[in-house]
Formats: sequence, C-alpha cells, structure tokens
Amino acid sequence: MDFLSPVLDGFGVVFQPDNLLYCLLGVTLGMLVGVLPGLGPAATIAILLPITYNIEPTSAIIMLAGIFYGAQYGGTITSVLLRLPGEASSVVTAIDGHELARQGRAGAALGIAAIGSFIGGTISIVALTFVAPLVSGFAIDFGPAEYTMLALLGILLVTTLGTGSILKSLVMATLGLLLATIGQDPLLGTARLTFGSDQLLDGIDFVIVAMGLFGVGEILYNLESLRKKTPPAAKVGSVYPTRKDLSESKGAIARGSFSGFLLGILPGGGATMSSMVAYAVEKKATKRPERFGKGAIQGVAGPESANNAAATSSFIPLLSLGIPANATMAIMFGALMLQGITPGPLLVDEEPQLFWGVVNSMYVGNLLLLAMSLPLIGIFVRILKVRAAILAPLTILITMIGVYTVRNNVFDMFLVLALGVLGYLMKKVGFEPGPLVLAFVLGGILESAFRRSMRTFDGELTGFLGEPIAATLFGAIVLLVVLSAVRALRTRKKAKNNKENDVPPAERRPEDRDEQRDRDPAEHVR
Amino acid sequence: MRILSSRSTRGAALLAAAALVLSACSVQGGSGGEGGGDYPTRAVEFTVPTEPGGSTDLITRALTKSLEEPLGQSTVVVNKPGANGKIAGKDVFSSNPDGYRLAVMPQSLFAVGPLVLDDPDAIQLEDMTFIKGLAVEDYVMVVPADSPIKSVEDLKKAGSVKYGTTGAGTGSQLAQALLLGLQKVRGTAVPFDGGGPTLTAVLGGKVDAAGLQIAEAYEQIRAGELRALAVFSEKRLEALPDVPTATELGYDVVVDQRRFVAAPAGLPDDVRDKLASAIDEATRSAEYTKVLEDSYIGRWDADGQAVGEQLRKARDQFKTMTTELGVNLKGQS
Repeated sequence: MDFLSPVLDGFGVVFQPDNLLYCLLGVTLGMLVGVLPGLGPAATIAILLPITYNIEPTSAIIMLAGIFYGAQYGGTITSVLLRLPGEASSVVTAIDGHELARQGRAGAALGIAAIGSFIGGTISIVALTFVAPLVSGFAIDFGPAEYTMLALLGILLVTTLGTGSILKSLVMATLGLLLATIGQDPLLGTARLTFGSDQLLDGIDFVIVAMGLFGVGEILYNLESLRKKTPPAAKVGSVYPTRKDLSESKGAIARGSFSGFLLGILPGGGATMSSMVAYAVEKKATKRPERFGKGAIQGVAGPESANNAAATSSFIPLLSLGIPANATMAIMFGALMLQGITPGPLLVDEEPQLFWGVVNSMYVGNLLLLAMSLPLIGIFVRILKVRAAILAPLTILITMIGVYTVRNNVFDMFLVLALGVLGYLMKKVGFEPGPLVLAFVLGGILESAFRRSMRTFDGELTGFLGEPIAATLFGAIVLLVVLSAVRALRTRKKAKNNKENDVPPAERRPEDRDEQRDRDPAEHVR
Repeated sequence: MRILSSRSTRGAALLAAAALVLSACSVQGGSGGEGGGDYPTRAVEFTVPTEPGGSTDLITRALTKSLEEPLGQSTVVVNKPGANGKIAGKDVFSSNPDGYRLAVMPQSLFAVGPLVLDDPDAIQLEDMTFIKGLAVEDYVMVVPADSPIKSVEDLKKAGSVKYGTTGAGTGSQLAQALLLGLQKVRGTAVPFDGGGPTLTAVLGGKVDAAGLQIAEAYEQIRAGELRALAVFSEKRLEALPDVPTATELGYDVVVDQRRFVAAPAGLPDDVRDKLASAIDEATRSAEYTKVLEDSYIGRWDADGQAVGEQLRKARDQFKTMTTELGVNLKGQS
C-alpha cells in the first residue's frame, strides 16, 4: 500500500489541533463572504494573504482553501433567499431556489443545497485522491478548439433554462452574447463598444450583470407591487427538507457530483458550465420538466452538488500541474509562492505533506460546513420575515457595497443600477435573465476560444474535426440539435393528430423553422 | 409590528456588518497640502493596478509589509484593476501630490501599450513623479518537451510558428514577435488571457511555442515538461543558467517587464526622498528579498530619475524595432 501511506500521513497533518482550527476558521470565513454578494473568495483570500505569511504553509493553504469552498455554501443562501447570485456558478440555483423560497420552502431549498454540496464536495475529494494524476491531463487536453465546442454546447443548453418560449430565451441569450463583446478585443486589444470610456475597457464584470439583472431587477419589480398592496411576508414553512425532497434529489445529487467533478478540472468556466450542465441534465432527466423554473427541488440539488464538486476538483490543475484554474486559484498560487513553494508537476512528490494535508482537510471542512449550515438555515430563512420595505433598501445597500468591492470602482455601482432597471423591464415583459447572464459568461469564452482556434487552424473551420475531443463535442451538439428537432416534430405531430385528424401531417414548414431556431446560436457566432 | 425583532436576525445583520467592515477597510487620502516636514502623519496607500494574486500584487504586498518600519506609518494596499493599469494610474496621478497615495505601475503600459492601442488620453510620463524601481521580470520562450523544435534556430525550419502569448500588448507577445521578425519566420500570435492559460496551451501542444515569465514556466521546465529555448534578458538568468539569451544567439531582443513606484507629478522633493529611502530600505529586507527570489523576480535598483530614463528608452526602442521589422502588434488577426 505504497500509494496510500502519504494519503494517511495527510490525515495526520489535518488532525493536528491547530490545522483543524485553521480549517474551521477558513470555512467559517468562507461561508460569511459567500453570503455577501460581490465580495468573492478571491478578494477575501487576497485581503487575508498578509496574515498567512507567518503561518505554516500547509495550515495557511488549508485555511485559504476553506474560504474558497466555504464560499460555495454561502453563495447559495443569497441566491435562494434574495435572488442575488454572487457567483457565476450559483446563477442557476437562483432560478428554482428563489421560486421555492416564494412558496415558503426556502428551508427545503437551502437544506438540499447544503446536503448536495456536502455530497458533491466529498465525492469530488475521493475522486481527487484516487484519480488526480490520471485526470490532470484532461485539463491540458482542453485547448481553444475544445473550449469553443464546450461553450457552444453550453449556449445551446441555455435555451433549456427559460420557462417560457425558446424564442424568448434565444433573444436573451443573444443580448448576453452582445454584452460580452464590450471591452478590449481579447486578441487585439482594440477597444469595442466602450464609447471612449476607460471604465468599460475591461468589459462588464459578471457579478455586476448577475446582481443587476437578478437582484436589483427583482427588488424593483417587488417594490412596484408593494405600492399597490402590502404583500404578506413569505411563509417560512418547514425549515428542513422532507423525506420526499431527499428522495427526489438523490439522482440529481449523484449526477451533479459527477459532471461537476469532470468539468471543474477544466481551467476557465468549469464551475459555471458544470452547474448549467447539471441543471439541463436534470430538466431532461425528470418526468415533469414543466416544474422547472417554478420551484423544482432537483433544479437546486443538481447545480449545487455540481458547483461544489467543481470547486474541489479545480484544485487538481493547481496542485498537480501548477496551473491555476480560476481567479481564486491564481491567488492561491500566489499564496504558495509567498510561502516559498511553487506549485508544479513535482509538488505531489516533493511536498506530500502539503498536498495530502490540504486535500484531506477538505473532508473535514465539508463536514464542518454541513454541520454549520444545517442549523443556520433556520436563522437565515427568517430574513424572509423582514418586511419588504426594510429588506429591499438593505439588500440594495449590500449589493452596492458588494459591487464596489469587485474593482473598488464607483462606476460599477451606476452600472448595476442601470442593469437593474433593464432587469425590471425584462421581468415586466416576460423575459428571463437566466439565459442572458449565462450567455454573457459563455460568450466571452466562446469568442476568444473560437478566434484562438482560427489562428491555430490557419483559418480553416475543418480544423475542429482534426481534434478528437472537439470533434466529439461537435458530434454531441449536432445530435442534440437533431434530437430536439425530432422531438419537437413528434410532439407537434401528436398534437395535430389529436386535434384535427383529417389534416395530413406533412406541413413541414413550422418544424423546419424550429430546427432553424435551435441552430441559431451556433450560426450567430460564426 | 415587530421589525427585526428576533435576536437571530440581528445576529445575522451583525455578522454581515462585520464582514462589510472587513471588506471596506481602505484608507482614502483626504485633504493634503500639509508640509512634507513631518511626513508621513497617517497611513500611506499603495494602489495595485491589477487583480489580487498577480506578481504586482505579490511584490507590492511584500514591499508594504517591510516598509512600515522604515516609514514609521502603516500602509494599505488597494487593488484597482482595469485597462492595463490605466484606471488605477488615472485615479492616483490625478490626486493630491502629498505622498499618501502611490501606485505600483508596470513598464508595459508605457512602452508596449502604445504599440497596441491608440489612446489620446493615455497617461503621460510627465503625469508622474517616479520614486523608485522595484522589480524586473524576465521572459522565457518555451516549447513542449516533445516538440521537434530543439533550439531557436529550429524555429526557422518550422516554417510557420504559432506562438502563445499572455495577452495583447504584453512583453510576451512583443519579445516573440521581435525574435521571429528578426529570423524572418512567419509567426502567428495566439494571445491568451494571462500566464495560466498560456502555460496550459503550450503544455497541451495547442501552440508551437509560448513566451512566459520565469515564475510561470520554471517548475514545468524543471519537471521536464517544457523546453526553454531562450530568455529575453540582457544576461543569463540565475534561475536558468543553461538557457542562452536571445542576444547571445545573435538576435538583439531584450524585453522585460518592470515595476516601479510612482506618485502624482509635483510631489515635494523632501517627501519623495523620504519615500525613496524608506522603500530602498524595505527592498533590502530579508523578507522582501526572499519573496523576489522565490518568485524568480529580479531586483530593479533604480532611483526615480533612472526609472524615467528606462521607460523612455524602452518605449523608443520597442517602437523603432517594431517599425523596422514591420511587426504590427495591432493587426495580427
């Protein structure tokens, strides 16, 4: 059992009392900053970096890692209660989670999210322990071509997020793609759609788009109804998920953990993609897809398990290859450097104590988070009891502070208000922000990845077919489009046959148009 | 009606407030104008023009930590990323030149940026008082370990080279473009979003070569995953003693990234001198030295005047070279 002995030594490191304490400190802080929208784990870790100078490297990283995955737990809370997603990976949670909260089932949503996060995280750590060396290559295999296809697939999945018509979702997705083009051209550095303003040169930060459209938009919409009559404060209902909730979420949690682990390894949009994929998969897997968007517990369970599994597996590229997979990992990289350790392919062999200490601390951290979040749910859901007249301005205040902390920039505060008004108008006319926000995230990835691929392929589109993974993903996209076209055709036929049996089902035009619609996002990009 | 009645709600609010305080602990330079004689009487703020976590952030945090003692005041680090450093620069350099607001700026904004972006509103060298040079970061050109390209000369045989860069308008792009330009090799730049993604791409063989800073590539070179072709420094680097410089190989390309401390123009001389000598002392501390060494970052021991000269020299030299070689950093689509 040569392989297992450093793993077990790692547990010895974790169970040193001071390391346990740092772990607890980390996850507690993480949960707190997760609750505050805008103030992300990346900024928190940066603020705390100076404190870690004089701590043992292993303890320091255990604490900082705790902040990172702890924030994933906390981020769910504002998503569900206030519809304020602070992180890209909790946007989809806001869709069904907040619906559940409106129905008085916030406790159930938060409970399932916590349990799903725990299971997703734990499965991911087990997988990390045994297969990290095997799958780390996966991160390297993903180049521009693969990301292009992945993002394309993601944008197709965006259409499953809306509850309304596919057309409306596509309109929103297009707007999201358009917003993503604001800022410096990713390859040339030319300013685009900035209207000469330096403030827009880096594009719009995701947090601002999400908090504006979801959070501020929601508040404005609610205030309008407040004028007409005071709505009764939402019922808090049962604080914990029922047995039925649990059994309904089982499959979702398992599938979410798996997709989260795999996609989390990918540098870049891994965690976001994984939560979206999990949502789309659940909507396809369920027998009652019509409940999605109206408070389906699986719509919370899947994405939450996925984003936590992804948060854990995003450590793989950093610890086994020395590649930071996201902004937080980049700071973690810096933290390790300040400790005199440069993460790279040799880290596992040269610093086994650090590697396994940090990995194993995540078991403990996840357990602590579960133990902390379940009792806290009872406290958090009481926020909903606060009258809207008080809660709304408070939420705006917290949002504004959160937005300011992203770049320490006042301009962003105006931007979030403008986007809030947009979100309000969209809600009034029945457009949903979900597809827009996710297309916004994916648009940035898609554009730069596609253009990088074009450079590496000398401008030949056929180059995509020469890359095995990219070609496979492309096959999946084609299959998805064909399948949904066929399904749409069949349901239409059925509906028609039921209604008027005498009309021959040969009218092809509407089906064709349907297929066209599905292909639209792909066309859009070319 | 009971408002915010339950104790727990108040508890949650308190927690939130505590976290807000944590996040908002930045010091704003208020009214200045007091004489430099007893400077500094309050905390000195360092603005970092990048996200937390980059090397500028790393250097600044290490510096400020060692600076508090010689300066006799506390220091604060504020990250204000955006527009390659211009947002932070515009903000700091339009403030009162009282020595309480400083910025750690990159050379690339002044020397490489103008080659990429036409900006009539760019920060001018005259807008700043240079206080002290801090660090030099060098670039290395690498290929995957299994690449048929074994040396800089092999690049010629490759015919056309797709090279990964850490972004448009970076030293990584400029150095490789100039080298290939001198070799008359057809090159296609593939800019990525920073060092991490560039490293990933070259490790996976998605690009033929890449230009990275030493700290980004060192561990991979040591592990045998990447082969270093050349460094773009003046002399061979301590970290990579076996890797030749481009100049040694007959291609006169010296490109590096430098960081320096600057204040708004018009900073009183006595304040500048006090700051410069305090920073000088801080950069000699064992702690700061260790951070630089561990991150393979070189020391840039230059006073304010030398900083200004270096910026002018780099700007003019890069401009001349790109023009002579017909290398256009803008139009490589």
